[in-house]
Amino acid sequence: MERPITIWRVSISHTDFVRTIVIASLTLSSILITTIALAKNAGAIYPQLFYFPILYATYFYPKRGIILAGLCGVVYECLVYFSLFPDMLALWGSTGQAILFICVALAVAYFTNLLRVSEARYRSIFENSLLGIILFDKNQFMIRLANHQIAAMLGYSVEEISQRTFSDLFFTHELRRRFFEHLGSGEEIRNFETCFTTKNGEPHWVNLSWSRIDDTIVSCSITDINAEKLARELAADSSTQYQQVTESSPTGMVITDHTKILFANPAFSLFSGYGPEECINRDITDIVTDEDKDRFLKFAHRWNIPSPVPDRSEFRFVTKRGEIRRAVLYFTPIIRNNRPACLVNIVDNTEWEEYRERVEQTRERRREMMRAVAHELRTPLQPVLGYLNLLLQDPQSFGVTEETRQILDRCAKSVDRERQIINQMLELSVLEGEETSLDYSVFSVGGMVNAVIAGGGYALKAEIAIDIPQDLLFEADRQKLSYVIDVLVANGVSYSKPPKKIWITYRGSPSHPFHRLAVQDNGIGITEAQLDAIFKPEEEGSPHPSGQALGGSGLSLAIAKKYVQLHGGYISVDSIVNIGSTFTIHIPKKRPDTVDHHET
Amino acid sequence: MKRKIVVIEDDQPILDLMGILLQKLGYEPVLIANGLDALTSVRADPPALILLDIMMSPLSGWEFLERLRTEYNQREIPVILFTASPTVPEKMKKLNDPKVGILQKPVTFDELRAAIAQFLE
Repeated sequence: MERPITIWRVSISHTDFVRTIVIASLTLSSILITTIALAKNAGAIYPQLFYFPILYATYFYPKRGIILAGLCGVVYECLVYFSLFPDMLALWGSTGQAILFICVALAVAYFTNLLRVSEARYRSIFENSLLGIILFDKNQFMIRLANHQIAAMLGYSVEEISQRTFSDLFFTHELRRRFFEHLGSGEEIRNFETCFTTKNGEPHWVNLSWSRIDDTIVSCSITDINAEKLARELAADSSTQYQQVTESSPTGMVITDHTKILFANPAFSLFSGYGPEECINRDITDIVTDEDKDRFLKFAHRWNIPSPVPDRSEFRFVTKRGEIRRAVLYFTPIIRNNRPACLVNIVDNTEWEEYRERVEQTRERRREMMRAVAHELRTPLQPVLGYLNLLLQDPQSFGVTEETRQILDRCAKSVDRERQIINQMLELSVLEGEETSLDYSVFSVGGMVNAVIAGGGYALKAEIAIDIPQDLLFEADRQKLSYVIDVLVANGVSYSKPPKKIWITYRGSPSHPFHRLAVQDNGIGITEAQLDAIFKPEEEGSPHPSGQALGGSGLSLAIAKKYVQLHGGYISVDSIVNIGSTFTIHIPKKRPDTVDHHET
Repeated sequence: MKRKIVVIEDDQPILDLMGILLQKLGYEPVLIANGLDALTSVRADPPALILLDIMMSPLSGWEFLERLRTEYNQREIPVILFTASPTVPEKMKKLNDPKVGILQKPVTFDELRAAIAQFLE
């Protein structure tokens, strides 16, 4: 940029300043030469001298050029008038010259203006075009001119791109070679698609059109098609992917207009038994079993509402071969050809259902067998237990000696223990079959705990500290909860070292939805690895065979856990090895609904 | 006069044992191995209490109880279900009959005494 110079409140640029001096000196020297020539009467070349400042001034400053022409005319007229008066011919000649000055000035101003307007027009086209424009040399490929658009498109500044050659811009040699081939043909080319490289070396797709301006310069306009090209590639890519996914999907997929099938994938053909062509235009409702039709129609009805939501449901279908298959339908609203359509995924779970049924049957058979076995074990135990009881009740009348009585007593204890194990096994199998209901009643917790302690004689085996509010009432199955407390206390007693101590504490708060009853011991504790195992009856090798005091079986804790779960609660365990364990029973204060108090 | 208790049980060793135990407890046991015979006997001479096995044929314990209560209209005779089946307690709850109790085999002498005492003392 030129720096303006301020002279007497008028700021003019350097160029203007120099031009003004040149024009002024030309004007002055014209006047001077004319004056001298007229004074010495030296021929008629002098008027032409005035054309230099006039042409010069008018070219650069059209309006001021005309004024200067007028001034020159006046000065020239005056000079001629003073030196040649009263030669009328000379006076007419000089007036003609003065008028000619102005005419020339007007003509120059007019044409200069025309030139400027057209130049400005082309400049604005070049600079403001949405297309990138490059003028380059046909022989060396030097970039002569590049506009802002092409520079920005490729991440350069206009100066940077102007220093490169046009052939540098191509992304690969192959693309460059193809361009040269077309350029060499000498024709004007439109829409030549190629890929340029950006300043960062990334590909950028463009569309070239070029034409020759003259023998050496080629004008090339460049359209940015990168985004479009990428979108096209992506679309082509995702369309291929979509096809691959639907073709290879193991789940059935159909696109429907409501329930009429517009498209079905091979997996659906396999599922339904109908060929791909047979599926088209078939109504899905046709292959739903009669039993499920009404339900299906209700389900499909929801696809038709404005802005439907994804949905799923299970139905049975009849295949072409007449088999019944079970499948879950997943409905998703989609747009297909600008119209709402339904994408329905059909997940065949016939095998899964059959498998689930088989597993359930196996479990049921196992429970049945366990019951039958237990039943068969219990019945013959009755005479053994009964006769032992009889002998021990009145040993003298049967002639039993003291020594024999002791042996019989051991037998009776053993039989009793076996009886308890069998009973627990059966109880657990009944609990697992979810056939147990609770007998709810409202009772005093303190009373219940005291009864358990007294019944088990635990106060003789350990120091028992009970901290339960006197008036605290539970609504629960008293008998089952008593069993739970019994198991936990017996467990604590069994796994404590003297001096044995058991704390039974109520830890509820009015705001908490659960009653919490903690049974804490100062026993050997349970390692973290054992924690998971203690409630599982099958953990035979558990080093913490709970409930040994109750008959040596690991079943009692499992039963206790089930009882608490029936109440909608759970048992938590905190334990530190060699410090002690705390079993906490969590029972909801509010009795769960009678409908679902079977299992939580 | 000793009170009569009918024991209906198809397992002979248990039936014999119950006879001895009940005598020991001071009752007069009537031992019947078949539900149908038992119905006839009970109608002819109603006992103070019935000890009833469940898994029997041709007449199961449930069928016996049903016929006793409805057909023979004997609603007041206490019946103790004497069974080894683990599902009986739940089914018994559903009967909602205050004159029906349960004893799960095998029982001890004391348990038998307590169960009978519940109804007869």
